[in-house]
Amino acid sequence: MYRYDAIDRAVLADRTAEFRDQVRRRLAGELTEDQFKPLRLMNGLYLQLHAYMLRVAVPYGSLSPVQMRALADIARRFDRGYGHFTTRTNIQFNWVKLADAPDILDALAAVDLHAIQTSGNCIRNVTADPYAGAAADELEDPRVWCEAIRQWSSLHPEFSFLPRKFKIAVTASPHDRTAAKVHDIGLLLRRGRDGETGFEVIVGGGMGRTPYVGPTIRAYLPSNRLFSYLEAILRVYNRHGRRDNAYKARIKILVAALGAEAFAREVEAEWEKIGPEGDVPAAEIERIRDAFTTPDFSSDPSTGDFEARRAAEPAFARFVRNNVKAHIRPGYGIVDISLKGIGETPGDISADQMDLVADLAERFGQGDIRSTHEQNLVLPHVRLEHVYDVWKGLHAAGLATPNINLISDIIACPGLDYCALANARAICVAQDIARRFEAPDRAEAIGEFKIKISGCINACGHHHVGHIGILGVDKKGEEFYQLTLGGSGAEDAAVGKMLGPALPIDRVTDAVEAIVDAYLRERREGERFLDTLRRTGDAPFKEAVYAEAH
Amino acid sequence: MKALTANRLSDGEVVFWKNGVWVERLTDAEIFADDAGAGEAEVAARAQPTVVIDPYLIDLVDSAGFWAPVSYRERIRALGPTNHELHGKQAEGGGAVEALRQAHGAARSSGRVNLIRRK
Amino acid sequence: MPKLIRASGAAFRDEEDAFVTIEDDAPDPGGDIIVSLARYLAGSESLVARPSGRLGVRLEPEDEVETLEGRLSGVDLVALAFPKFRDGRPFTAARLLRTRLGFSGEIRAVGDVLRDQAGFMVRCGFDAFVPADGSTAAIWAEAAGRHSHVYQRAADARAPAFVERQGE
Repeated sequence: MYRYDAIDRAVLADRTAEFRDQVRRRLAGELTEDQFKPLRLMNGLYLQLHAYMLRVAVPYGSLSPVQMRALADIARRFDRGYGHFTTRTNIQFNWVKLADAPDILDALAAVDLHAIQTSGNCIRNVTADPYAGAAADELEDPRVWCEAIRQWSSLHPEFSFLPRKFKIAVTASPHDRTAAKVHDIGLLLRRGRDGETGFEVIVGGGMGRTPYVGPTIRAYLPSNRLFSYLEAILRVYNRHGRRDNAYKARIKILVAALGAEAFAREVEAEWEKIGPEGDVPAAEIERIRDAFTTPDFSSDPSTGDFEARRAAEPAFARFVRNNVKAHIRPGYGIVDISLKGIGETPGDISADQMDLVADLAERFGQGDIRSTHEQNLVLPHVRLEHVYDVWKGLHAAGLATPNINLISDIIACPGLDYCALANARAICVAQDIARRFEAPDRAEAIGEFKIKISGCINACGHHHVGHIGILGVDKKGEEFYQLTLGGSGAEDAAVGKMLGPALPIDRVTDAVEAIVDAYLRERREGERFLDTLRRTGDAPFKEAVYAEAH
Repeated sequence: MKALTANRLSDGEVVFWKNGVWVERLTDAEIFADDAGAGEAEVAARAQPTVVIDPYLIDLVDSAGFWAPVSYRERIRALGPTNHELHGKQAEGGGAVEALRQAHGAARSSGRVNLIRRK
Repeated sequence: MPKLIRASGAAFRDEEDAFVTIEDDAPDPGGDIIVSLARYLAGSESLVARPSGRLGVRLEPEDEVETLEGRLSGVDLVALAFPKFRDGRPFTAARLLRTRLGFSGEIRAVGDVLRDQAGFMVRCGFDAFVPADGSTAAIWAEAAGRHSHVYQRAADARAPAFVERQGE
């Protein structure tokens, strides 16, 4: 956790006071909706189908127990007792009132939370590896850079009215758990030749109507030059990004139009003019690094009765197999918390469940909670000797579904059930698929399988990078679904390929099952679905889905 | 047949026009048989920027004696999200809610009359 | 005359605007005038040599502010137009004008200019505003002063938080 100082708190307090006044003026008719909308979006407040929705920032996916409890409290007081974790690791409340928004923001600010720039044409939440600080393959903790970028980008006077939204991800592991290559800027921490740290800079990735895996604009940027370089990128985008067509306004369009090399030259030319004056001093980066609480790790590698429990209780063993990952420190484990209970709404969590997670994090997890871009939570630092107690606690609260990275660990946007932009529902499709593959043995036999569902082309469900991507479309007023295959949001980033004509809602689950069955038929030893697909091409799957007569 | 709908400014609640005021249930809404009346109501509604946001007309179809929106989107707005039966107006239950749930009909999913292209 | 708000330091004043914007094909009426960038570039020598009256140049968002580099002596004012308040390009133009091009004259925001942008505009180097929402200098002073700290450098002299923190 980054500990806010007085300045950080003052920034939040000033912004909430400003927003309170803006709301007052809107309610009084002193601001039109057209004038007010960008202002409320810059504070994360959407108008959805049924109510306002507030998107609270979870900066780089990090939450403390105090913060989680505050979110639970807000869910109870101002919403319907639950929240929804998103593919940008933020949390959304679906049922808030405009008139309550200022009070909610005050309640958030009291625990160093906010909704600044979670929407609008500005720089959004900077996301990081949810295993930061715990992953064995990590170069250094990316969250330090995320926090520095968060500050630099907050209420940036020059870049608050960009052509479109702007999303940055930072990863520090060879295994990319942030989908960095489909972000507007992906920053991959790298070790330079001189042993210093720096970044490979990827610009122009994205999903939506025109998905791109972002090209590398600069293979190595010394870390002390990050902010002048970001300024250069944002300035080029602010000046030259398209403003005539909202569907062509992301930086990925500009990069594709210019070509990566020409774009890089523009950035480098601007960067040279900015010079080191645009950088944040190393002392500030160190200050931020020091302001992160260090977990109180024990060097005792013993694991208590962890192994014995695993041997004795198959259900616990299954949980460990799927939901517990190796930690860099002996004696510790990373515990994934699935918010994909079979038949539940993906990413939803009740206020009681939030409190439970807070308690477990406090007692067993070094007070550290993470949210992931796959709409799950993580306790990154749990002593293995405590994992059983954590599991029991999760299990009692319905949070122990042992399906992380399996076929029922589905990403789904809120879709037509909530979202004003949607063409079709996504939640019920996810629920139906999860129920079909509910049997844990079957799910494990299938192995790693990422299904991602978006209710419209805006792709908030990240369907382009799903192993199976499912895109809801509107065909003559009915809900139809376009399937894609072979997407990946990891370091082997790829955009999925369309499989065939869109299917009506009642055929989607069968189609998924046909694909799975075809995979199980075709696969060779050790192949995940993606591996088999890459070897065979999509012909066997096309045939499985479309050759079947109904 | 048409109805006029909007979201209430203060709380975002889905509301329907009824003779110059806004009601929360589609069954209570004013039903327009002709475009002139519907158009007049829309103009009057747009003159209430501190009451509602973005009023617009929707097409309706008869369903078991009740009026239901033609499009899924508007049915979901009138009912509530389909993943939470206790959330939204559907929690009330009753004949009107059932009729909305069972309604059939095909249209563009936005269901807006004279759909204005959103930027 | 349209209302103008002028900022100097933290003080904001309501003023009458002496400048008149003239079309490209209109004759020079004398006095304080604002001309388009195209007109200025085509005839800057004669414009700068006017016997009296101040000279302003107006840039649309798609105009490149660099075209004024080295051609700013004799220019008293640069007006940056906001066709829509959500167009972020004039913020960059102002900042570059102020810092990179070293312009010390008036940088004026015109067009769809709203009070809620006061803080951002001042930080980017604007020091005069023709608001479209009827707001006054007092309102702009309040809006511009809403944020006690800033996180990043801009065109103003405000020390970013990381500098403030070094002083602690």
